[in-house]
Amino acid sequence: MSPRTIADLGPDIAGRYPYRSRFLGVNGWQMHYIDEGPPDATPVLLLHGNPTWGYLWRDTMPPLLAAGYRVVVPDQIGLGLSERPHIASAHSLDNHAANLVALVDALDLDAAVLVCHDWGGPTGLAALLSRPARFAAVAVMSTWAWVEPSADFHHRMVPWRTMHAPVAGPYLLGRQAAMPGRGVYLSTVDRDRYEATGRAAYEAVTATADQRRLTWQWPRWIPLSLPSDLATERFRRLEAGVAGLRLPATVIWGREDDVFTIDAVAPRWHQLWPHAEGLHTVTGRHFLQEDSGAEIGELLVDFADRAVRSR
Amino acid sequence: MSAIVTVLAEVPPGLRSVPLLVEPELGHYPEFTRFFAIRFGLDDDPFGPPAVVAVDGRAYELTFLGRSGRPFPSGLEIAALVVDLEPLDVEAADRDLYTLVCWILDGVGPPWSAEAFARTADIFRIPARPND
Repeated sequence: MSPRTIADLGPDIAGRYPYRSRFLGVNGWQMHYIDEGPPDATPVLLLHGNPTWGYLWRDTMPPLLAAGYRVVVPDQIGLGLSERPHIASAHSLDNHAANLVALVDALDLDAAVLVCHDWGGPTGLAALLSRPARFAAVAVMSTWAWVEPSADFHHRMVPWRTMHAPVAGPYLLGRQAAMPGRGVYLSTVDRDRYEATGRAAYEAVTATADQRRLTWQWPRWIPLSLPSDLATERFRRLEAGVAGLRLPATVIWGREDDVFTIDAVAPRWHQLWPHAEGLHTVTGRHFLQEDSGAEIGELLVDFADRAVRSR
Repeated sequence: MSAIVTVLAEVPPGLRSVPLLVEPELGHYPEFTRFFAIRFGLDDDPFGPPAVVAVDGRAYELTFLGRSGRPFPSGLEIAALVVDLEPLDVEAADRDLYTLVCWILDGVGPPWSAEAFARTADIFRIPARPND
């Protein structure tokens, strides 16, 4: 059976994300991605997290394309239109990072601007550290790359720890589809707009419990200083590597972010990267692209023009 | 809410198993593994038949999974036991799963609780949560 494409999701969704679906084999899985703009232009790699897919960047892309950049947007394996492995071990942090390494190698990206949101941060930055020569600049938003997220949200029993606890996770997020529909809704500012232009696209690619597997599995990889943490050492190595990066960097955050809160998490990036630009703030909660996608695109154009094109 | 779950001594005859939910990583929080091991005597008899519980008169099969290098049980499959070839009542199964999850969380004990689960289900407006 042929994989589903953006066009298969219907005219409303395809109209807002009017790009050609492409597929690439990465570590044995089929990754969906789009690759727009001049092939020889500076590439901008936009990475989403949980539970979204490339559609998250729909309003961010047009300013970048209009400015002449090549824009590459993968769907992380397990989400969007990419393959959904059912085996738990496929979804380790290292495997997801390795899938991005395979992508940037296959597309031969050179001097790319890496743009990370949510799990796009730990995975994308791990890939960058594995292929430093392929990247020239980095932008982060509502993400982290150290052992524990600095905000209180991830330590709370309600809703965070309960929503992906054993048995409760596959029930709430798998069978009962708590994310992406309601979950993303709660993490946007203009919820009417999200209902009108966002929700259907996220639910269309997570229509079954099987398709929602990563939505409850990925949260389990966030270290919380518990004996059962899966990735403490991995994040420790990631943080050490990220702290040593001196690429041009920028930090963009949603003012209303109540997951990776702007006062607790965003400053940590400037502790790691004293040279980084920002803090640029926009209207938005955790899924700030839903509220300020185009503004983020303009910020990225401004940043990339100075950081990469002017070199 | 008060979860009403009864552990049955044997599988009622004439039922077929309909998979509902797979939890491959009970040990993400080890206290969940210990709850099932103790509640169903799995340390003494890990290779026995699946456990069977009843919720509101409907039967559910709990099959415990093992994985090399992990304490047993490392995972859990929950299946509805449905009469003969009759269709599964999906809405009832989801309501019963809600009750079953509450029973598990209260059984595991603090910091886990059915109350926290109910509040989380309210936040996400889970369709199967009980009416107020």
